[in-house]
Amino acid sequence: MDDRNLLSAGRWLILTIGVLWSAFPIFMVVSSSFKPPLDIFAVPPKFIFEPTIENYILLFQEWPEFVKALGNSLIITAGATVLTAVTSLLAGYAYSRFHSRLLTLSAFFMILVRMLPPIVVTIPLFPAISALRLSDTHAILILLYAAFFVSLATWILKTFIDQIPRELEEAAEVEGASVWQRLFKVVLPLSIHGTIAACVFVVIFSWNEYVFALIFTSNTARTAPLVLSEIAGSVEGVQWGVLFAAATVQLFPILIFVLVVQKFIVTGLTAGAVKG
Amino acid sequence: MFDDRKWLSLFLISPVNTLLILLIAGPSIYIVWLSLHQSTFGADSVFIGFDNYVRLFSDSIFWRATFNTFIVVNVIVYAELALALMLALALNTNFWGKGLVFSILIAPYAVSQVSAVVMWRYLLEPDIGMFNLLLQNFVGAQLNWIRNPVHGLSLISILSIWIHLPFTLIILYSAISTVPLDLKDAARVEGASEWQVFRKVTMRFIAPAVLVAMMFRYIFATRLFAEVWLLNEGGPARLTEVLGTYLFRAAFRYHDFGAAAATGLAMQLLALLVASFYLYKLYKRMQSDG
Repeated sequence: MDDRNLLSAGRWLILTIGVLWSAFPIFMVVSSSFKPPLDIFAVPPKFIFEPTIENYILLFQEWPEFVKALGNSLIITAGATVLTAVTSLLAGYAYSRFHSRLLTLSAFFMILVRMLPPIVVTIPLFPAISALRLSDTHAILILLYAAFFVSLATWILKTFIDQIPRELEEAAEVEGASVWQRLFKVVLPLSIHGTIAACVFVVIFSWNEYVFALIFTSNTARTAPLVLSEIAGSVEGVQWGVLFAAATVQLFPILIFVLVVQKFIVTGLTAGAVKG
Repeated sequence: MFDDRKWLSLFLISPVNTLLILLIAGPSIYIVWLSLHQSTFGADSVFIGFDNYVRLFSDSIFWRATFNTFIVVNVIVYAELALALMLALALNTNFWGKGLVFSILIAPYAVSQVSAVVMWRYLLEPDIGMFNLLLQNFVGAQLNWIRNPVHGLSLISILSIWIHLPFTLIILYSAISTVPLDLKDAARVEGASEWQVFRKVTMRFIAPAVLVAMMFRYIFATRLFAEVWLLNEGGPARLTEVLGTYLFRAAFRYHDFGAAAATGLAMQLLALLVASFYLYKLYKRMQSDG
């Protein structure tokens, strides 16, 4: 074999292993959620079987709180996303269009804060949040999730707004548009893609987050990953089928989301990580 | 009202900065004060100087957790970089179905830590998981992550690599796809082998992206918590604890906020140390940009 064939064989080998590595665990859990309990650990593994929704029926019968938790996850994800989008758009616009020493310092502060580990802030926040009666509310998770993603989102939006020609705004200004009109009528429509790129990360994070939900919720605001972990750790022994059904339900919407917005994930990560 | 551009710009950045200061920067600084006090539920804090640190540094489990974090983080970061680099190079050509392959490769990005633990437990549950049965057949031993701490840490590393590979892959892939083709062609015309083209052209071009990916992964990997906690809560006998689980247990199981704060400060300093070079370069550039 010459060099070229060897290279191409290597390429296919690496990609095949990569695809199996990424897809197999997901495929096994999703497909096994449709297996009757006895087939789940069958030896050899059964890849052809008669699909059943038995596990899903059991899930909704035995874990009614899972449905409520999915609702909570949805509310919290939506809330954190809107909060991130609005605050980051304002800040991204300011960092793009205005320049001063103070702004430079605060932009630097924003990136520095991003390096700090989330779990550490739970120690002082725990008593403070109890005292403010914010424990186990949707609001506290919305605020925390947004706080940990506004700096990435602001930075992504700044790089997008940097590319919008100022002339467009100047033209609007001549016609008497206020700064708010310029922001909402000129800049916002042109930075829709930037806003999506800035928000995909907080959507994925909020839907899947575990640590803050574990520490700050107990009942009313409990999210889907938390109930999922309870199903996985139930004392009477794990009901694997039910667990796989729950994992599939939790995964499905966000997996579709990631596949639909993957272009934005790529541009967002590149803008947010490499450029700053 | 906002005629003054300065006030306007401050007004625009204030919501973001309020969130950052109240929920991250403030608490992160307050940790320093907490770490110098003895504090638990329902009792007034007492200033005790460096006692929390003395206690922490004489706790063998803390050192075990630090050691585990060090090993696991390095394994995760370098394994991810190597795998992501190979995949990114393999992807850097046009072929039918490339979009689908890329989608599958980044699919674990959507999976929560809880589900990832479920998926890998299914494959590696002792005596019944299919990978463990294969291992039993071909190697004669299983990955006994429940009883054997080395096996436990190995599974934790595999899990983390699996979840985070898409992040590293995306950064490296977008860097590699910006390497100018004519630069590579020129090297080939000069008689460079593919390996030399990779080392002398591609690697040089993507080195900054590799460094940035590496730094971010070091920082994020040091936060390791959920994978360990969900898999076996740092067991057996706290032998697979990492800094994140050590902090969590101190704060929320033993209600020893002083020791937890001291651990937290160590984690923060570690993250800032890793980020310092990047932050320094960034600060210089921001200043020159005005």
